[in-house]
Amino acid sequence: MSILRPFKASDMFKFNNINLDVWTETYGIGFYLSYLSRWPDLCCVQEAPSGRMMGYVLGKAEGTGPEWHGHVTAITVAPEYRRLSLARKMMSLLETVSEEVYQGYFVDLYVRCANVVAIEMYEKMGYSVYRRVREYYGNLGIGKGGKDEEDAFDMRKPLPRDVNRKSIRPNGRDIIVSAHDVS
Amino acid sequence: MSAAAFERQIRPIYDALDTGSNKSAIVACNKLLKKHPKNVLVKALKALALIRSQKVEESLVLCDEVLQTKPTDDGVLTAMMHVLRGLGRHNDTVTMFEEAYKKMPANEDLGAQTFFANVRASRWKSAHQVATRMYKQFQDERYLFWSIMSAILQAKDVSTPSAMRPILYQLAHRLITSSPTPSYANADRFHLHLTILRELKLYEEANKLLDSDIGKSICATNLSCNELRREIYVQQGRIQLEAEQAEHLIVEKKDRNWLEFLSVIEGAIPATSPEGTTVDLEATGPKVSRVRELFLKIAEEDGTKDRSAPLALLEVEKRALHHGLSQDRGPLLTLLKQYFDKFGDKACCFEDLKPFLDLDGDDLAQLTSFLEAVPTSFTTVSDLRRLINSYKILRYTLPQSEITEEKEASRNAAYIKAYFEGLPLGDGLPSTELQPADDLALLAGNTYVNLWKLTGNDCHLLNAVYLLEFALTKSKQSFLTRLILIRLYRLLGALNAALEHYRAMQIKQVQHDTLSHLILSRASTFSLASTGDLTLATECLESTHIYLSNSQETADFIVRAFTGEKYSQIPEFIFFEDQLDNSLQRDTVKVEHVRMRLTHEVIQSDLIDLELIELKFIFDKVHYDNRDFAILPNYQPKVAQSLHEQTLLFDRPEGEVWLSTFLKTYIRAFQQASDLDDTVEEKLLVGDRPKQIADSEKKLPLRERLLQRDPKESESLTPDEIKFVDYTHALVDWLEPHHNHCRPPPAVVLAEAAKQTELKTGHPLKGIDIPPMNGNGHHKKNEEPPAIVDAPEVVVKYFETAKSRFQELQSKSSPSELLHVATLAQEAYLLLVTETLRFNKNPSLVKIHKLGNLVANFKALRSDAVSVLGEISSTLIKRAEDDGSSDSRHLCVDRCTPDLSSHIDHDFVFTCAKKICDSRKKVLDGVGKGIDRLRGTYA
Repeated sequence: MSILRPFKASDMFKFNNINLDVWTETYGIGFYLSYLSRWPDLCCVQEAPSGRMMGYVLGKAEGTGPEWHGHVTAITVAPEYRRLSLARKMMSLLETVSEEVYQGYFVDLYVRCANVVAIEMYEKMGYSVYRRVREYYGNLGIGKGGKDEEDAFDMRKPLPRDVNRKSIRPNGRDIIVSAHDVS
Repeated sequence: MSAAAFERQIRPIYDALDTGSNKSAIVACNKLLKKHPKNVLVKALKALALIRSQKVEESLVLCDEVLQTKPTDDGVLTAMMHVLRGLGRHNDTVTMFEEAYKKMPANEDLGAQTFFANVRASRWKSAHQVATRMYKQFQDERYLFWSIMSAILQAKDVSTPSAMRPILYQLAHRLITSSPTPSYANADRFHLHLTILRELKLYEEANKLLDSDIGKSICATNLSCNELRREIYVQQGRIQLEAEQAEHLIVEKKDRNWLEFLSVIEGAIPATSPEGTTVDLEATGPKVSRVRELFLKIAEEDGTKDRSAPLALLEVEKRALHHGLSQDRGPLLTLLKQYFDKFGDKACCFEDLKPFLDLDGDDLAQLTSFLEAVPTSFTTVSDLRRLINSYKILRYTLPQSEITEEKEASRNAAYIKAYFEGLPLGDGLPSTELQPADDLALLAGNTYVNLWKLTGNDCHLLNAVYLLEFALTKSKQSFLTRLILIRLYRLLGALNAALEHYRAMQIKQVQHDTLSHLILSRASTFSLASTGDLTLATECLESTHIYLSNSQETADFIVRAFTGEKYSQIPEFIFFEDQLDNSLQRDTVKVEHVRMRLTHEVIQSDLIDLELIELKFIFDKVHYDNRDFAILPNYQPKVAQSLHEQTLLFDRPEGEVWLSTFLKTYIRAFQQASDLDDTVEEKLLVGDRPKQIADSEKKLPLRERLLQRDPKESESLTPDEIKFVDYTHALVDWLEPHHNHCRPPPAVVLAEAAKQTELKTGHPLKGIDIPPMNGNGHHKKNEEPPAIVDAPEVVVKYFETAKSRFQELQSKSSPSELLHVATLAQEAYLLLVTETLRFNKNPSLVKIHKLGNLVANFKALRSDAVSVLGEISSTLIKRAEDDGSSDSRHLCVDRCTPDLSSHIDHDFVFTCAKKICDSRKKVLDGVGKGIDRLRGTYA
């Protein structure tokens, strides 16, 4: 149970309970404003009835030709609201908008190879690994994750427009690209 | 020289500017200017390099030269745009582009630049005019929408009189209906259209748009438009239709947005009835039964997958009770129990149920016994969460009679016991994860604080520290634990320990605005700037970077939103920019920084003049309070104070009243000490002035506003702060006539400023006529000098009173209040120095104006102050030794209760105690020595 509403610039004053978290980065205000000034319909918030923010997602539409797609840049849920399927609801909104408003071929996201919990969650939502991107993330300096901590999986879910399902492949985990090759 | 050759020579200047090598850019410009002394582009680039090297005066000269040529060249305009932005002269940017566009009206890009310049300066009226002109000329519909948006923004602007607002919306409406392409061609234009219709209450027209197929499809995929739609429905009373549509979404589309559930509930039974009316129970009854059935069915379908329907049932029950539709709290109680059974293992269960816990008597007793029966089991994380939720609810609903020292202590023991029993459940978790038992430690932390409030005994704070520090070793990423620790350490006078945790949170960007209050509120109490240790002063400055990036960046995104036609975002961005720009925390930190600055730098007219201007700017602002206090994990009973209120330093919240009181105090003090009056300030000011608010009550002259005292002062200021404020006002009142009499006339001040500028830049100050000087620069006024009277009682007695307060507080175990009184006395002394500077630095002035008796008065005051401060200083230094001694450390360790010492290693407690003692020692010693140093500096 939560309120799904647009992300507003002033939410930056309210997101501390979400952003005070080791996995969630607080960027400069320009980062949030640049998303809102281009893809406001791909940015939304889950809010408790009390007005407390529970989580948010920021997304964009990018790519050319058959690569035109919705991209999940940041998705995060405050610790006390995890395991309530909030992420799923926000992803589903982002997928709907990517499909109906932007007419994209697929939706994709990046995740640390070490973040097994998240990967499993995305797989349940219909995402699969398209490729592995080497050294995409900075070192967190927290675990013995090694390569898995710095490398990212690019995970994709095809939208109806991708009739031939070209945006997914079975052997994605074995296809390795360097961080320079991705946007 | 050919264009290509010139281009070759100018390239390196751009490169240097891009890489931030401003010095080499200036050198390159000078070289080119030798060959082409009249080249405007090179001048503009040099002005830019100069402003980026903080050489404001020199940049100003070039800047004005370039502006006089009325440039139209793209490169010059762009460079000048950056120069003027650096100088804060947005209005000049507008003029520059407007003149260029006037010269080249066919240049579309220039038109857009002119529009954007107006946007950046928030000059909506002329933005509207430019956009209108562009639409006529270039026939691009985008410009029509720009003009519409500008009209709306003008209506929203604080400087627009309220009578103008509807007229502007009507104008916007006329324009949007004139658009050749209907607004629904694009979701953001549609949003803009709806905004206008809502404002003008043109519901019929709005409904036509909303009920059309395209309107429906936009609202289905665009949350912003849907939000507006819902508002418009509600405003015009389309509650039933809204409820029907929401029900359709819930049932057919399985939508679980809580807003839809609220709409359905609102359709059956409103949250409140308009004043003086009651709901029609007969009509409401069947509706309520129907939605109950609906939600019951959904609750069954959803099981534990979604909490919406069970919560909706609770909400319906709550409203039914509120309106008297039902009298029996039995069903509510049953629903609460059912909810707990179903979702008690979710971390948010307590928060979900909070709004429905307004129970007493028998009902409360029933709930309590239900929750007390929750098994104290630690076999699974689910069990543990259930137990935690039951503890939280039980605690939240405690009646006043249950909150006694004894009962709190036994509760606390239970929380602690459960914490240590629950810990093993998180044994295998990686260090990045939070421990499932964390909340029990937070509950105990809350209880310790409550015990401290009940008894006044600091040992509870110490024990809270031991437990929470321990919890943090188990759960390294628990920010909530750190938040409480920061508050506790400040109460305990252990600043460094607080700072350590604050830094570990890695507060950054906009969080500086919302969270820096944790460490910076009343930070001057702990500041060691007087000894040259600028830790806290630097923390103040670092927290202000965000405001700079706001003023530099946010306007760019407003422009981008115009370019990309994201009209729904523009008012939001402007509001955000405004909230940060006029942030209460920003200016509170500013005041703290000024207070620290006075202890660190030599007090002289440069410092006074500069701070005076800045504080006056701040004083006219309408502030936004963006501080985040909700982040503190508050688990106190609802009848008690919140954790935030309980752990406020000195028991007083800072806020608008605190800020305005301190601003008035400092502005008055600095005004007297400064030679700048309004006319001088006007001439010397570089950037634009802040916008004035229309319809404002602040029409009183500044002087009168400065004299007003807020009747609510005592809620926000400590008694010691009030004494300090009284003292300063009395001091200023006493000396005001003499300052006014002796202050040099504006012409002399300006002449001096011009002389200084010329010495610095080699150019005279522009726009200032300097009258011929006569004699030695001291202007003897014709009027009689004001009579000299003795210093008022409040001023004379201040330091003695401070001394006795100081002695009173020595017995307290935490040194925080002691430091509070000591630093205020130091501050009072520094303001005495500030106020008497004019007379003390200038013996001839005293002679001319026959102020000998007055000066004698100062001397007596100063020697009093110096002797009191001497005693305070030596006592603090002595106390530092005591607090830092091993005896004190052992005393702290000994106060660890058996509840904890059976679980926490003795060495660990010892380390914590040492941290507290060392921090106290450092701040006491530093403040003590700093006071002594300042005594010497101005003796």
